[in-house]
Amino acid sequence: MEKLLEISGVNLTYQSKTSETVALSDLDLEILDNEFVSIVGPSGCGKTTILSLVAGLLSPTKGEIVLNGEKVKGPTTRIGYMFQRDNLFEWLTIQKNVTLGLSLQKKKTQENIDYTNNLITKYGLGDFKKHTPKELSGGMRQRVALIRTLATRPELLLLDEPFSALDYQTRLLVQDDVYKIIKSENKSAILVTHDISEAIAMSDKVVILTQRPGKVKTIVNLNFNKTLTPFERRNQPEFMEYFNQIWKELQYEE
Amino acid sequence: MKNKKQQFSELHYKFIRKLRIQTVVVHTIRILLLVGFLGIWELATATGALDPFIASSPSRVVTTFVDLIKNSNLLHHSWVTLYETILAFLISTGIGLALAIVLYMIPFVRRILEPYLVVLNSLPKIALGPLIIVWMGAGTKTIVAMGVLICVIITTINMLHGFCQIEDDKIMLMKTMGANKIQTFTRLVFPANIPSLISSLKINVGMAWVGVIMGEYLTSKAGLGYLIVYGGQVFKLDLVMTSIVVLCILAGLMYGIIALAEIYVNKKR
Repeated sequence: MEKLLEISGVNLTYQSKTSETVALSDLDLEILDNEFVSIVGPSGCGKTTILSLVAGLLSPTKGEIVLNGEKVKGPTTRIGYMFQRDNLFEWLTIQKNVTLGLSLQKKKTQENIDYTNNLITKYGLGDFKKHTPKELSGGMRQRVALIRTLATRPELLLLDEPFSALDYQTRLLVQDDVYKIIKSENKSAILVTHDISEAIAMSDKVVILTQRPGKVKTIVNLNFNKTLTPFERRNQPEFMEYFNQIWKELQYEE
Repeated sequence: MKNKKQQFSELHYKFIRKLRIQTVVVHTIRILLLVGFLGIWELATATGALDPFIASSPSRVVTTFVDLIKNSNLLHHSWVTLYETILAFLISTGIGLALAIVLYMIPFVRRILEPYLVVLNSLPKIALGPLIIVWMGAGTKTIVAMGVLICVIITTINMLHGFCQIEDDKIMLMKTMGANKIQTFTRLVFPANIPSLISSLKINVGMAWVGVIMGEYLTSKAGLGYLIVYGGQVFKLDLVMTSIVVLCILAGLMYGIIALAEIYVNKKR
């Protein structure tokens, strides 16, 4: 598989009036094409910072980030960012929410519109195109947010704890949905989460970060049968093994 | 998505009935309060407990009202004040919105101007009255300027506050989707703020009336403020009371129009 993202020697220091915080130091990380990678680590270890850097919302103090052979400088539309909250615009219909990125980038071609309409129908939101977000359940809203992210056909998806605002049952269902959508659209993704079982259920590998200043501590490769859904993975015997392994790694950090 | 033909239990109908009775009681008491107030006022002045020359009375207000309509100058005075108020309202909303947008879009300017806004906001604008009269002359211009001065700073502050309330996540989302600053404003910040904008218009309507009446107190040849000052000076308190009643009605109507617009906008969203 080809290399999609290369983070090499990245340092990031946050400056404020009274302090200087080193969030990341010498972070190296590689993501391959079509790979689903989770990042876990103690709170405050700079997980979200990594996503902001990859999205170009922050610039590294040192080091560089290369996406598909091109260095990331400043906000880039080559990635799609999904947040903890769906951030749907209440005053727009579902369809307009989904095509927001396209219309901002002036890429509202018939082909792109067809593509998003297709996604909307394919993932069970066809009847809600003309509805407003208020009329949708939390799980449906998060699905709309994912389709909005996919609409501009980003090269890489960044998922910043996108399930943590959902209640437990919905979370399990939406994890399955999101996983299926990402896999069937052949997308690569980085998922930041503090939920170890979520990381194991969804990804190909789990990256464990050290405490601040964050750098990669261990990478755990997950070898599940490719046909399993995240929910089914939870019933596999290896699931507990992976869980204990990652749990122990994190314990040393606390 | 609601099923309109849904059947409810007896308990639900009881509950609805109770709500309805409550509403009726509230409205009745509201009306009784007004009628009672007018009745006591009328009675007190009729029996001589209150001097009708000082306190006027509802019947005198009605007589004065009819008189004024007949002499056809009440409509003129009301129109002058209404016109000035609408003008002050529109101008101050326009300037306030424009200022708020500039301050929002350029944080550097916002930081520089912040203390000036605070000082201007706490300054009693009426203190500027004599200056404005000298600069703009005694007339409509000064009155409208007074109204604008009273409204404009608070409009700017309220709208700017609303703009700054947008969650960082949403701004970040716009950035990741390739939006520039102007797009972020027109596609996110402004539409998200329409409800707070309208509620600030509601405050503005009231403030515009305050400003215009103040302006008319300072300098005017016509208008309800003029009638009130004139009535006070020649001790025609019936005239003062009548003007105040008309003022109440007009201000209420204007507020009502904005409130209706608010309902309309909220329904559309």
